[in-house]
Amino acid sequence: MIARVGLALLVATLAAPPDEPSPAGCIKDGGDLYAEADALLAEASRDPNGPALARARERLRAARRLSPSVDRTLQGADLAFATGDSEEGVDLLAAAAERNAGRLTPAELYLVARRAEERRRWREAIARYAALARMLDERGEDGSLIQAHLRPLILEAEAAEVAPPGAEPPVEAQLALADARRALSAGRLGEAREKLSVALHLAPTYVEALDALGAVETRAGHTSAAIRAYRAAVAADPGRVETLSALANLLWGEPDRAAKEESLAMLDRAVTLRPDLRPLMRRSAMRWAEFGDAPTALERLDRFLQNATPQEREETRALRETLARRVREASRTPETAPSKPAEPLPPEPASGAVALWQKARVLAARGDSESLATALALLAEAEAQDPSFASAPELAASIHQKRGEGDKAIASLERATEADPSRASTWEGLARALERDPRRSATAEDAWRRAAAAGSTEALFQLGEAAEKKGRRSEAIDFYRRYRDEAPAGSRAAEAAAAVARLEGQKRAAVWVFVGAVALAAIVGAVALYRRRSGRSFAEWLNEYPARAAEARPVLGRVRHEALKHGGLLLSDGAARIEAGGRESVEAARLLSTRLYGEGNSAGLIAETQGAIDELRAIASQDRVRLNLRHRDAVFSWLVKGLETLRRAHRPLERIAEEEDPPAEATRRLARILNDAARSFVLASGTEMERSLDRAAALPVRADALRALLARVAAEIGVVQPELETIGGVGVESPLPLLRMPAADWETLWRNLFSNALAPKDEPRGRPVRLGLSAQKRRDPITGEPRLRIALADDLPGALSAEQLRGRPSDRGWGVIEEVLRKNDGAFEIAPSPKGGFTKAIVLDLPALEEPA
Amino acid sequence: MNAAARKVLLVIEDGTEYVDAFTRLAPASREVELLAAPDASAARRLLAERRVDGIFLDVDFSRTPADRLLPGGARDQGFRIASALAPLFEPGVPIVIAHDFTLEPERLEALRERVPALEGIVDGTPISRVLERLTAP
Repeated sequence: MIARVGLALLVATLAAPPDEPSPAGCIKDGGDLYAEADALLAEASRDPNGPALARARERLRAARRLSPSVDRTLQGADLAFATGDSEEGVDLLAAAAERNAGRLTPAELYLVARRAEERRRWREAIARYAALARMLDERGEDGSLIQAHLRPLILEAEAAEVAPPGAEPPVEAQLALADARRALSAGRLGEAREKLSVALHLAPTYVEALDALGAVETRAGHTSAAIRAYRAAVAADPGRVETLSALANLLWGEPDRAAKEESLAMLDRAVTLRPDLRPLMRRSAMRWAEFGDAPTALERLDRFLQNATPQEREETRALRETLARRVREASRTPETAPSKPAEPLPPEPASGAVALWQKARVLAARGDSESLATALALLAEAEAQDPSFASAPELAASIHQKRGEGDKAIASLERATEADPSRASTWEGLARALERDPRRSATAEDAWRRAAAAGSTEALFQLGEAAEKKGRRSEAIDFYRRYRDEAPAGSRAAEAAAAVARLEGQKRAAVWVFVGAVALAAIVGAVALYRRRSGRSFAEWLNEYPARAAEARPVLGRVRHEALKHGGLLLSDGAARIEAGGRESVEAARLLSTRLYGEGNSAGLIAETQGAIDELRAIASQDRVRLNLRHRDAVFSWLVKGLETLRRAHRPLERIAEEEDPPAEATRRLARILNDAARSFVLASGTEMERSLDRAAALPVRADALRALLARVAAEIGVVQPELETIGGVGVESPLPLLRMPAADWETLWRNLFSNALAPKDEPRGRPVRLGLSAQKRRDPITGEPRLRIALADDLPGALSAEQLRGRPSDRGWGVIEEVLRKNDGAFEIAPSPKGGFTKAIVLDLPALEEPA
Repeated sequence: MNAAARKVLLVIEDGTEYVDAFTRLAPASREVELLAAPDASAARRLLAERRVDGIFLDVDFSRTPADRLLPGGARDQGFRIASALAPLFEPGVPIVIAHDFTLEPERLEALRERVPALEGIVDGTPISRVLERLTAP
């Protein structure tokens, strides 16, 4: 090449005319200038060290500008090399190669390619080397070295076109974004916009802030501003599905077709990035259909239907049929799909780690195993060079995922989040990777939370879903609301709004259910409390209705006999025998089982006692009284508890009765139950029950009260009131024992006795009858029970015997008296006159109460 | 303990509840011989034939046929039997009747005029204590 330059210089020098200056003010064309240059070259050939050569090069430059020529350009290159100006020399060779590379020699072409490579003009270098390779091939020379040299250049060129990842935003910007999101959630759009302005001033490509600004402007109704913000976000990070979706939604609402085309492109990109988001696929199909591109719409719809539910199939059936028909009709004149918008050109790489990452991106995009392995190696090198460069492990993670290396992908993403915790997309990626492993769902949720904190709106939706699945309804509503507020045009905005509506409805329903349950519980509680506190005790009932004492007494006697006496006799000893174990335990269990729960004709202690209690309640209910023995009666409550305890012993007792050698634990447990019941029966004092009855039935015998009754009866009959004397011998003692008789019966008894005495049928009298009263307490010699004998003496003539009186009609006179006496365990007899002046005495024998000791 | 040394108790009741309870629930029953009488006449026969060391009387004989009852009713038949058989009771032989005299001490006193060794049982008293009382020296 040098020889050629020297030769050219020599020829030019010899052939060139002498250099002369151009006349002032004369306009020259290219030919003139080339002529001048030739003259100057001729002069320079005579004086190579003179100024003519420099002037010749100037004339040539001017001439080439006016009249470009490959030959003259090559001539200029030769002159430049001859003067040692290889910079211009290669420039001129490059210019010549631009016009006709075939005019250059392989060496010249190599110089041009090499220079482009040195200057990192990868595409130019690739083109020159490629031309050189072709030239050598045409000449039959070996171009393999040049071809091999091309491959790294292509990688460099492609890598140079990859945009470098954004840097971590400053803390102030992150804080401003956090403030803005709080304001956005609270609906303070102005404040949110102001804070985002601060954040974006500090970090203009802060994607999360741009997204948030898009949300603010969307909610404010400033669609154009929102589109600008989302476009900037997409430019900063083309892989954010939420941003793409939001931008697509806003653009779709614009009236011009270009905006719709851009919208479809955004949506398609989002679908490509997240094919798992089926609503996006469906939306894509619908919009392509609306746009009029039936084939694309049909293709999207079919992809959506691959995993559709029966309901979704039904919903889209009509659309699919329409699309399919249109595709068939259009098959003769297929439509042209809209062109895809061009990607923005990426900036130049900034560091070694970034350059490695860019190359790795290119290799990763190629997708073959060799490229992926090389990419991983480059990324490892990038990570080693700059451990804070999060994009390297993040890209490594996506490669590992492509290779099916889930754990390695997660590890890479974890390193990426450590390197830069502010990147929402990295947390999102980590969360998605963790979600694939069901065992790590808790960790995945944590990653989603970190992503949300870093500004991910998708994370808000995911967290909402997770909270809903776990039944945390309020938390789910909160997340869905935040998503709806922060991503009003987001990919899942409609789903979030629906979820909020659904969950709030459920919450309201739950609140009503809760309120209803509380109200019901309150009512049930109040009823229970009322039933617990209302009603009467046994003693209260009898105090109010003492006449019932006579009916209640035999029933109470059964209670005492069955539960208190027999229960006491059997239970504690039975418990001791059962606890002793062995054969005796079984025998005791069998006996108790029979005695407590009955066998054959025997109802058993529990049923007998319960029957007696029920009978008492039934008697009380006749007075419209509810006996509350379980909760209001200090005595009977123990009896009821004892019965309840014994009911619990039924099964254990039967089991032990069926065993040959019952287990010790079972016998101990049963003995405990039986002892509890025995204690309850001891506390259910039978004497107290009896006292209640006695108090109700107690009737004092008062002579003055009988005289007053006598006066009333005499007045009713219309006779003169006789005197009621207390007569000697058996005179009325003071105090007399209390009678066990209702007051009403007592009055009925005496009213009839007095009536009989005052109105004798057989003999009219001219004077009032004389009546005397005496009383004597005694004890029954057989049973020892206390009795009171009360005698009513009169001076009526005629003999009268008890036999004569018995059997008279029960509703009249003596019949009534006899009935009252029978009911009250009393008796009567006719006695001779106890004292002079009286003809006979009617003696009543009535049960008395024991006098207090 | 040989049979000759065993104490003999007479249980007068209209069923077998007390005898069963003594036998199965009171360990000391192994050391006594239990004689059962369902009514006054059976008790009278046994008392004539055997020496007894203690007598237990039920009160209510509602399950006994009316023709085998002493006059006065079934509900307090035990008292009537005690009264009727009182002359046959050996002095010092404990007589326990299944009645609680807690509220009726004077009644018990009155009954003891005819049956001096009569005792009642307070509600809740275990059968073993009753046996203990009947066999106490």
